[in-house]
Amino acid sequence: MTVKLWNFFPREALYECYQCARCTGSCPALEVAEALGPRETILKCLNLGHDEVVEDERLWVCCTCNVCEDRCPQKIPISDLLVALRNSAARRGNIPDKLQIAIELLAKTGRSMIVHQLDEMRAHHGLAPLMPVPIDEVREVLKKTKLDDVIEF
Amino acid sequence: MYCKDTMKYALFLGCAIPIKYPGFEAATRRVCERLGIELVDMPFACCPPPTSLKMVHHDSWLALAALNLCRAEEAGLDLLTLCSGCVNTLKEANHTLKKSDSKRRKINRILEDQNHHYKGTIEVTHILDVLYQDSVVEKLIKEMSLELPMKIGCHYGCHYFRPPKIMYPDELSDSESYVPVKMDHLLSIIGMEPTEYSRKFLCCGSPLGANADQDAGYAIVKEKLGHIRERHIDALSVICPSCFEQFDMGQIALSRKFKDQSKIPIFYLTQLVGLSMGMTPKEVGLDVHRVKSKKLLESIGIS
Amino acid sequence: MKQALDDMDKKANSPADLRVGVYVCHCGKNIGSTVDCEAVAKFASTLPHVTLAKDSLYTCSEPGQEQIKTDIREQKLNRVVVASCTPRLHEPTFRAACESAGLNPYLLEMANIREHCSWVHLHEREAATSKAKDLVAMAVARAVRLEPQFELSVPVKRSSLVIGGGVAGIQAALDMADAGYQVCLVEKSGSIGGRMAQIDKTFPTMDCSICILAPKMSEVGRHPNIQMLTLSEIKEVTGHIGNFKVKILKKARYVTDGCTACGDCIQACPQLAPDEFNAGLSIRRAIYIPFAQAVPSRYLVDMGLCLNNQGIVACDRCFQACTRKCIDFADQDKIVEIEVGTIVVATGVDVYDPTALTELGYGRFPNVITTLEFERLINAGGPSSGELIRPSDRKRPKNIAFLQCIGSRSKRSNPYCSNVCCMNTIKDALLIKEHWPETEVFVFYIDIRAFGKGFEDLFQRARREGVTFIRGIPGEIIEDISNGNLTLLGENTLLGTQYRYTMEMVILSVGIKPRSDAPIVQRLLNLSTDTDGFYMEAHPKLRPVDTTTGGVFLAGAAEGPKDIKDSVTQASAAASRANILMSKGEVKIPAVTARINTDKCVACGLCAKVCSYHAIEGSKELGYYRVVEAMCQGCGACVPECKFGALDQAHFSDAQIVSQIHEALANEPERKIVAFACNWCSYAGADFAGVSRIQYPDNVRIIRTMCSARVAPEWIELAFSMGAGAVLVSGCHPSDCHYNNANQNTVRRVEKFWKRLDKLGLNKDRLRLAWVSAAEGAQFAKVIKEMEQGLRELTPDQVLETKQKLAKRVPRKGEPV
Repeated sequence: MTVKLWNFFPREALYECYQCARCTGSCPALEVAEALGPRETILKCLNLGHDEVVEDERLWVCCTCNVCEDRCPQKIPISDLLVALRNSAARRGNIPDKLQIAIELLAKTGRSMIVHQLDEMRAHHGLAPLMPVPIDEVREVLKKTKLDDVIEF
Repeated sequence: MYCKDTMKYALFLGCAIPIKYPGFEAATRRVCERLGIELVDMPFACCPPPTSLKMVHHDSWLALAALNLCRAEEAGLDLLTLCSGCVNTLKEANHTLKKSDSKRRKINRILEDQNHHYKGTIEVTHILDVLYQDSVVEKLIKEMSLELPMKIGCHYGCHYFRPPKIMYPDELSDSESYVPVKMDHLLSIIGMEPTEYSRKFLCCGSPLGANADQDAGYAIVKEKLGHIRERHIDALSVICPSCFEQFDMGQIALSRKFKDQSKIPIFYLTQLVGLSMGMTPKEVGLDVHRVKSKKLLESIGIS
Repeated sequence: MKQALDDMDKKANSPADLRVGVYVCHCGKNIGSTVDCEAVAKFASTLPHVTLAKDSLYTCSEPGQEQIKTDIREQKLNRVVVASCTPRLHEPTFRAACESAGLNPYLLEMANIREHCSWVHLHEREAATSKAKDLVAMAVARAVRLEPQFELSVPVKRSSLVIGGGVAGIQAALDMADAGYQVCLVEKSGSIGGRMAQIDKTFPTMDCSICILAPKMSEVGRHPNIQMLTLSEIKEVTGHIGNFKVKILKKARYVTDGCTACGDCIQACPQLAPDEFNAGLSIRRAIYIPFAQAVPSRYLVDMGLCLNNQGIVACDRCFQACTRKCIDFADQDKIVEIEVGTIVVATGVDVYDPTALTELGYGRFPNVITTLEFERLINAGGPSSGELIRPSDRKRPKNIAFLQCIGSRSKRSNPYCSNVCCMNTIKDALLIKEHWPETEVFVFYIDIRAFGKGFEDLFQRARREGVTFIRGIPGEIIEDISNGNLTLLGENTLLGTQYRYTMEMVILSVGIKPRSDAPIVQRLLNLSTDTDGFYMEAHPKLRPVDTTTGGVFLAGAAEGPKDIKDSVTQASAAASRANILMSKGEVKIPAVTARINTDKCVACGLCAKVCSYHAIEGSKELGYYRVVEAMCQGCGACVPECKFGALDQAHFSDAQIVSQIHEALANEPERKIVAFACNWCSYAGADFAGVSRIQYPDNVRIIRTMCSARVAPEWIELAFSMGAGAVLVSGCHPSDCHYNNANQNTVRRVEKFWKRLDKLGLNKDRLRLAWVSAAEGAQFAKVIKEMEQGLRELTPDQVLETKQKLAKRVPRKGEPV
């Protein structure tokens, strides 16, 4: 169940970091919340190993805006790193509740939103009813990709 | 940008627009009809979102995205999205699968039982890029019947163009970044006055609200609105339903804490284009917006 | 095949009794800890013609060299092989040792068992030792076929050309002129002085920059031995060390030397343009003087801006205003031709333009400026007469922030560290504190590099004056349009907290980079550049001011980012190197020239066609062609052209190279890569891989030629017919060829060979053509790794098929089959 994180992300890419903090200096999440920040994430992975980071729930406090990677002078693929770390955290069961609910909904219905009296509202705007999602295909695919390792559906 | 002889696309509605903001969909369909862009509907699933499934289970995210791409491939049509999250997922998935033989093989093994096979034959695009093409703009100039003279602030959001090396690899600057200008240009064609404001490319904060803390997300909205107000901007234009909701609902939520702050109406891009073509506010779905734009539109002669 | 080799040997002039001495160097632990030197020496003693074989700890040392000399004398050695470091380092050393013992220096051969062996196979003792044995066998085989050579002496003109009139060019010119030689100093702009003239104060002394530079500038201007050409550019350089013919374009100045720099003309001129000297912060006219202390102290007209640029005098206001009547619109561009013995390149640097870093707002926010703009701002001769004011409202800022590493240490701009920015900022911070003590100064940094003499002291002084250093570059700058103030958003990494500082002015400490026109001079002089675009020195440690083009030297920041002290030091060094040549008055040309056997020559003229130096002359009427030795650069591009066996290259003869190929493939040929590497780029690149300790597979056996164009298709054919696994032909990047694009011939010949392999149904990927520059050690290693992968997929059947298909070669005319 636990997957080797560094098989998915090249650890050598992190060696380039000289901790200039342009990334963290650009992070909107850090401005408004208790976030981990990319610089600290990278330093912790290098110096302490990724366990520190993967167990920290602040890992999920992120806008996924990608500005950190945009401004990094060493072109470190920060967003790939964060995706890998979060995937790893999820495999250990560390997923924020809100996200868990959102993905369960996605796996159950094939949509990320609940549909409720939709056809009336659509008709009000002159739109035909929404085509149904091919939910069986979706569920088959998700079974094959083993989403249930992480989320039950 | 690629030029197409036939303006025909597979329409990828996503989830938020058809379910929460069908007005955007209606406006888009009307605008595309008038501009000769043919939209073909197909039973797509959720894109899936780059802010949720990708973070939790990358393999599932890639497979579901591939499923959607296959459907468009099988119809032989490029994908046209209306939402930044969708375009981000689908463009990145398309790019990943085209580049990596091993990932493509893995995905095709998963999809073969559903009789799908990803070939990498189509491109993914966003409604802003489609409307920006020369031939469409020419048509727009002919079809538009009125101008919308007001100071408009463009909010491109993040997922529409970042990371630029995947989303707009042909348009990188010397320092390998990309500063989008298409929306500003397009809106100036319909008589608006695109106005710069500080931190224009700051995220709206929506994923933060969705994954972690709603208030934190709205704090970012407050920061943006502060800079928007100081330039005396009349309204905001967005190209993503998440950004829209963040600003629309956000201002309502913020007004409960911070009273007497004037609210700034937000429009989805095709609503503005639709208005300039003579559609009514109801026709483009403005009545369900929480922040009302009635006064603003009346001031420029639209009722 | 063997018969042909023996016959080639018989033609060579070797003494009947060959006595080879082999010296295998341990180089301390550098070779000794990986290669079993004793075993290699033992092996060497079994090779034909080897009289003695020894291993020693440091062959290049005094005792090491003495041993060789003693052995030459006492053991009557007539060939010496030293297996040690790269010949590019110590070939001259050992050649000198041979010569002093009475042996012709060209009878020395070296085997590179350090850069090409021990350093790149650090953890493979057995493989490295086996490879070292191969390399020694190759060296011995070549050594026994070497012939004594006598270097041609070429006169060196006692004059020099200095390109660039900055402080480095000025210093070099003065040093050579003071030594008594004629110097022509060519400067592109209207005045000498360069970047140093733009700077206000220097670090660490806090001297006034122009005050210490101006005396040197006037010395140049009035020196009897210096011909100073400003507003001039180099157009063409031909010739070679000791005798360069240079064409210089001297642009029209439109102002005669009667000008007293009174300045009456500027009031009259209606045209305006940004003043480049003031970094665009002020305005100049079409007629102007670059700066007050300019040398020559003469105005000039920017004809592109002047209203008279259509060839007719539409406006003569300045002419009317000039009481001395020294404006001459009839002035013309001139071509000046000079002949010099040496050239010093001191073309300097440009400053990074941070507009592309959109998050910093440079170019949009008026109060965000660069350090160069700041230098002009606080300079008494600058746009604000030295008053510290900010661009938006001309008010004195209450606080100022410096941002370090802008455009340096970044893959988004320039990857290297620009050397001077840390100290420049510290100096600027101190200046601000000295004159305007109430102004707060903040420095946002990643690392402070204060490495030189007096630098740490200056850094400490800055801290004592209350300059605040914050570790963490801002991610973004926001402008408050109501007052022009700037907010910096970032993280203080040492505290681990976010910061939001509001500053009245922000100064970006921009890096320095090679000039945009550096490639022009590079092409003119056949120079190499490193991966960052700075000119490359011949050897980073031992020959820091020489280039690979003989007689051309480097000085100043054009060679790499550096401050004034280092530029001046390097300039004196370059002048000294040039002075050596000029004082001797003659230089020996390496005896590697092409030689034509006129008996065999049928006067087809193909060789002359490929010579980029026009060094081969002759005609059908004459009945033969011959090489003009003084003009031959020794690339060898002509030799493979000759189908009649009339051409060969001294010291890189066909027989010698062929013998090396034989030895390289004597054992397990199918796992060997025979690599032909050119001396200037690829061989040096392979050396650099060794210096950098980049590890790669041990399959490759490198054979050195001066140029990749020397590589004959027959050699490639021979290698494959002997069962070689793969062949690599490697040279300089196209347009960087040391011999004026001779490597175009390489491309042509290899492409032809590929076609042949295709036609024969053989895998043409086994012959690889690669361009590797001297700085590309990693690239060389990459190529070898890729080729080794290819070898793993090679089957014995394929090897056999290749052998058979290529063994049936058509013999050259005149050669026994």
